[in-house]
Amino acid sequence: MAGKRPRTLFGKVWDSHIVAKRPDGAALIYIDRHFIHEVTTPQAFASLHASSRRVRRPDLTTATVDHNVPTTDRSLPILDNTSATQIQALESNCAEHGIPLYGIHSDRQGIVHVIGPELGLTLPGSTIVCGDSHTSTHGAFGALALGIGTSEVAHVLATQTLWLEPPKETRMVFEGALVAHTVTPKDMVLAMIRKIGTGGGRGTVIEYTGSAITGLSMEGRMTICNMSIEAGARAGMVAPDETTFEYVRGRQHTPPDIEEQIAEWRSTLHTDPDAEFSRSHTLDASSLAPQASWGTDPAMTCDITDAVPTPQDYGDGDQKKSESAQRALEYMGLEPGTPMQDIRPDRVFIGSCTNARLGDLLEAALVVRGRHVADGVRAMVVPGSQDVKRRAEEAGLDKVFQDAGFEWRESGCSMCLGMNDDILGAGERCASTSNRNFEGRQGARGRTHLMSPISAAAAAIAGHFVDVRRCELVEAV
Amino acid sequence: MMKGKAVKYEQDNIDTDVIIPGTYLKIHDHDELARHAMEGIDPEFHKRMEGRSILVAGKNFGCGSSREHAPIALSKSGVAAVLAPSFARIFYRNCVDGAYLLPVEIGHDAFKEITDGDELEVDMAQSRVRNITRGTEYEIAPIPDIITGIIKAGGLFRYKAE
Repeated sequence: MAGKRPRTLFGKVWDSHIVAKRPDGAALIYIDRHFIHEVTTPQAFASLHASSRRVRRPDLTTATVDHNVPTTDRSLPILDNTSATQIQALESNCAEHGIPLYGIHSDRQGIVHVIGPELGLTLPGSTIVCGDSHTSTHGAFGALALGIGTSEVAHVLATQTLWLEPPKETRMVFEGALVAHTVTPKDMVLAMIRKIGTGGGRGTVIEYTGSAITGLSMEGRMTICNMSIEAGARAGMVAPDETTFEYVRGRQHTPPDIEEQIAEWRSTLHTDPDAEFSRSHTLDASSLAPQASWGTDPAMTCDITDAVPTPQDYGDGDQKKSESAQRALEYMGLEPGTPMQDIRPDRVFIGSCTNARLGDLLEAALVVRGRHVADGVRAMVVPGSQDVKRRAEEAGLDKVFQDAGFEWRESGCSMCLGMNDDILGAGERCASTSNRNFEGRQGARGRTHLMSPISAAAAAIAGHFVDVRRCELVEAV
Repeated sequence: MMKGKAVKYEQDNIDTDVIIPGTYLKIHDHDELARHAMEGIDPEFHKRMEGRSILVAGKNFGCGSSREHAPIALSKSGVAAVLAPSFARIFYRNCVDGAYLLPVEIGHDAFKEITDGDELEVDMAQSRVRNITRGTEYEIAPIPDIITGIIKAGGLFRYKAE
């Protein structure tokens, strides 16, 4: 429209959800969808009860249990009392307030960021919050999706709104196209964090654009938006397109007027040509190698064909960066100069809200089919949801993985954050498809190497990290 | 106005898994949570906090998870303010939204100069941090009204916009 200020995708979603505005720019934003889980809600419900308030919109609130649920046989009682208590607290809070709960025995239970999209609850142009930092995942649909803390969860439960300071905006352009199957969206986002740093997106919402993004499936876009938080960003977003619209059609909770909404989204939900970003970065996806982390934050990542860097090389003149690399190498038990492909994992974890969707498991299976996990390696697959698990089993993947010596588990967050029994022992080294390699993340003194599902699976088979571009891929017959 | 002695960690990117590991997120007793605060980075944290109330750390403090257990564990360990060159957003808002402690962004020069054990005074009204031990003072970015408003109200849940 002539004379109208060009806006970004984020700006349009933000503007259309403002309930009230303060002089300093902070806005009270309406929340379209609130996902809740067992770990960050007990205190929020307690605040609500203490002030005799009700959940304002139970119909816009969706609950599941994922963070601390066991991934073993669900017909058995939960042995960890504190986990059982948190799960029961969520069950009773949901019952009291009429909130739909996909509980531990539901056939749609799963990691909150996996089931939201699966159920058709994650919609383009909407605002979504959850008491979990990886809520950024839902931005793959062109939603503004923010991780929040428990006090904010209480505020949203009571009011369906949230006070937010307007963020700045970053544009991340991925040009080219990935090497099919072996270089993945996980490698794209790890390469991005390696380039801009763990604080590179701080205070901003990152919009991902470019041919390598539009060429991705929704699952791939979710993997990338998921790790926006690892670059310090408040959220990640991808403008919705026909791939998005196709995904949201025909799901359990897809709105009945979906075609009218799609027509509206198609005409509005994109960044106008002259809209401004405060920062912009570009990466060529076609030149990317498979990535793997060697240190204790996701920016401490290199090509799988590289050697572990020296602290000086990593610091590149920045004394503090060198010192942090030195500390990381000591923690990880690695010598500079060691080829990445000589690193031998004790454990392999394929799971998490980053990489436990059907496409991830199908790709991992390409290097597993007909082979066996190396001696001394314990490997597990934890599907992101019961739906992923069921569809994977229909495709025969449970057999592929189990025949190869992988454990095939029930869905949940599992070893990504070490809240249940799925943890690393002290000093154990893990090739993991999760999102954080912080000290102690997967268990006290555990050592995490972040990588893609196919790279992790290949490491399980070979007994050491490998360049999956050189692996023979075995398709299902 | 807030006054106290500093405990300083030089590291950047002190993350929430270090501040309070995932395995403790099932604990609802805040004092017990506090016993595990910062144990990933310093098992002696509690000893160091004795008689002190200000934590000074490197940039991007609190990156990672949305767990509100992190500011709770620090607050219950006696931390009244964290001073860092920058904070991860969710952690920053959690500190404020629960009115647990005050997160203060300080300049890189201030960060360099402040030494473990220094006595500091945080003056929010004047946007200043005074280093009483060294007789110097540092300008800080003004704390947004909404942030001081939420803290004054005793947390987000009690906050009502004017």
